[in-house]
Formats: sequence, structure tokens, C-alpha cells
Amino acid sequence: MHTTLTRLQNVFGFFTTVACFVAVFIALSVVVTPQAPSASIKLQNIQVVKGRPHYYSTKRAEFAHIRFDLDTDISSLFGWNTKQVFLYITATFPSSSTNEPPSQAVIWDAILPSKYEPWHENQYIHPPSASSPSSSSGTKSKSNAKSKSKSSKSKSSASTDAADYNPGLLSLSAQRPKYQITTPAGRIASLSNATLELNWNIQPWVGALVWTNRADFGLWKGLKGGRSKSFDFPALKESGSKGAGAGTGKKEDLKTEKGAESNRGKPA
Amino acid sequence: MADQLLEKVQDVLEGQIDFEGQRLAELLTTGVLSATGAIAFILGFVLQDIRLSLWTGLGGTALTFLIVVPPWPFFKQHPLQWLPAQGQTGGISIEVDGKKVS
Repeated sequence: MHTTLTRLQNVFGFFTTVACFVAVFIALSVVVTPQAPSASIKLQNIQVVKGRPHYYSTKRAEFAHIRFDLDTDISSLFGWNTKQVFLYITATFPSSSTNEPPSQAVIWDAILPSKYEPWHENQYIHPPSASSPSSSSGTKSKSNAKSKSKSSKSKSSASTDAADYNPGLLSLSAQRPKYQITTPAGRIASLSNATLELNWNIQPWVGALVWTNRADFGLWKGLKGGRSKSFDFPALKESGSKGAGAGTGKKEDLKTEKGAESNRGKPA
Repeated sequence: MADQLLEKVQDVLEGQIDFEGQRLAELLTTGVLSATGAIAFILGFVLQDIRLSLWTGLGGTALTFLIVVPPWPFFKQHPLQWLPAQGQTGGISIEVDGKKVS
């Protein structure tokens, strides 16, 4: 410690040690932060149509288009160490042969940023709360505050936008899927005993990625609900095959929800 | 003249402190940085704001650098007393082939 340079090196070296310890404590503090997520997910409507996986594909496969209702309160997942939560819904359906594990496919997802995360174009934008005026929070976002200022009701709440911004409350009805699903064989019609499930990844600022837990673990309650009743895929819808000769598939009759990440690389 | 100037510049750059000062510097580094880490975590956890932890930690670290790194006068309170030099000409004379070289 007798010259400036050695003191500089010593202080910086010990700083890295302290920073590392603080980071470990922050990562461990997640365990003592209680979680009590709950969700209800319902199948709203399901259609199976023929279509192509992409425009230039010559292969035609059956695609299931699943609309769903989702009511969820996962605000307790947003602790002090939560950067964002990746929320996704999978459809689980048994494989054709019984000795194979069931298939899972994601039909919808959203990136829910925490309060302090800087804005990014891929983040989920909560829809304006036109349908349910009672929900005071959870339907606001930083980016659509400007467009909402037309209605006087939301204008009054826009001032407290940052304060009661609650990304963990979602209430979606008849939500369109982001992805239409199929199987590797291209056959999904008339499969039975499928369910929809809510899943998530909690991405922390510091620490480990946490996946959906359905069982209680210490102060963390498992996800309550979050699984739909089992349903069957309907038979193939005939109207979709009308344009088989012209090669225009499902794109006109069924629309998927575009995720915010489809804006990537384009100016807003 | 130029030599003296160069020596001064070297002194300022090296920033040497005495032994007691080194002990103090070591103690300050450990104490202030540890306290900073503890305060940063507790403050952030209690107020549930991780940005507060970050800035408290970085601020405390900057403070430690400021306190410890420059050769402040309080690190030089106990200068070492050297023994007086032996003899007038440095005490050493070298003879080569009976002639005095130095």
C-alpha cells in the first residue's frame, strides 16, 4: 500500500470481492421474497385449418388456431430482483402413440418488464382497459400512455402511470394466439385430451432464472390454476381448403396476434 | 534543476506514504468497502429498489478510492527516522591498483 498504484490495485481488488458478495446476497434474497401467483386460463375457440408453414412451402399442414381467455395475477413474481418475466402459454397434447411423451407447443407469449426496466420494442404492451374499467392498474404501459389520453378517464390515471404500473395483472378475453401450432407430421385435427398451460421464466437482475413452479417451495406458493380443462382438437375446417388451387391458405380467415418483437428492425 | 523537477514529479506520481499510513490505508479500504456493501444490500432490500443498491455500492466505492488512493497528509504523520550517514563521503572508498577511484 505504499504507492498510489498499489493502493489503486488493492482498493479495486477488494471492490470486486465486495461486489461479488453483494450480488450473491441479492440472488439469495429472492428465496425470502414470497410469491403467490394465480391464474385462470380457458379455451375460448379453436379451429383447425390447412395452411403452409411459410409462403414458399409446398407442404401443406394442419394448423390449430387457439383463442383463449386468460386472467392472471403474477404481480408477486415482480420482486426487487426481477428484471422481467417471460410469460408463455403452451398447448399440451398426447402423441399418436401412447409410449411417447406428450407434445407441447407455445401458442402465445409476452415479455413483461418490471418497473425499472428500460423500454424496449419487444416488450408486451398491456391493452387499454376499455372492457373492464374496474381494473385500475395492470393495463397501463409506458408506451401507450400518449394514445390513451383521448379518454378523460384514463387521462386522470395517466398521471399516476409509473406509480401503479403493475405488469403482473393480465386480463385477456378471446385473445388471438401468436403462433398457430401443428405437429411434425402436419396432422393435428381431431387429436383429443389437450390442455392449455401457463408457464413463465422469471429473469432476475442478479441470480438464477426461475421457471414455473406448481408445488409450494418455502415462501413460494405454487401456481394456483393456470391449466385449462382438457379439450379436443376439432376436425379440419373445410372452408380453409377452398383456396387450395390458388395456393392462398389460412392467412385470410384467421389472424394471429403479432408480437411486439415483429417490429424488430423497423422504426416505430 | 531539471533533475530536481523530475524527482518532484516522480514523488507526486508515486505518492509514497509511511508505514503507519499503510496500515491505516489497509484498514480504511477493508472497513469502508465492507460497510458500503452491507449498506447497499440492506438499503436496497428494505426499500425494494435494486437501483438504490447499485448506486449506493458504486458511490461508496468511489468514496473509498477518494479516501485511500491519493497520498493524503494523514498517511504521512509518522515519517521514518533514518540513522545518520556514516562518514562524510558516504563511508565507502574503493581502491583499484592503489589509486582511489571513489
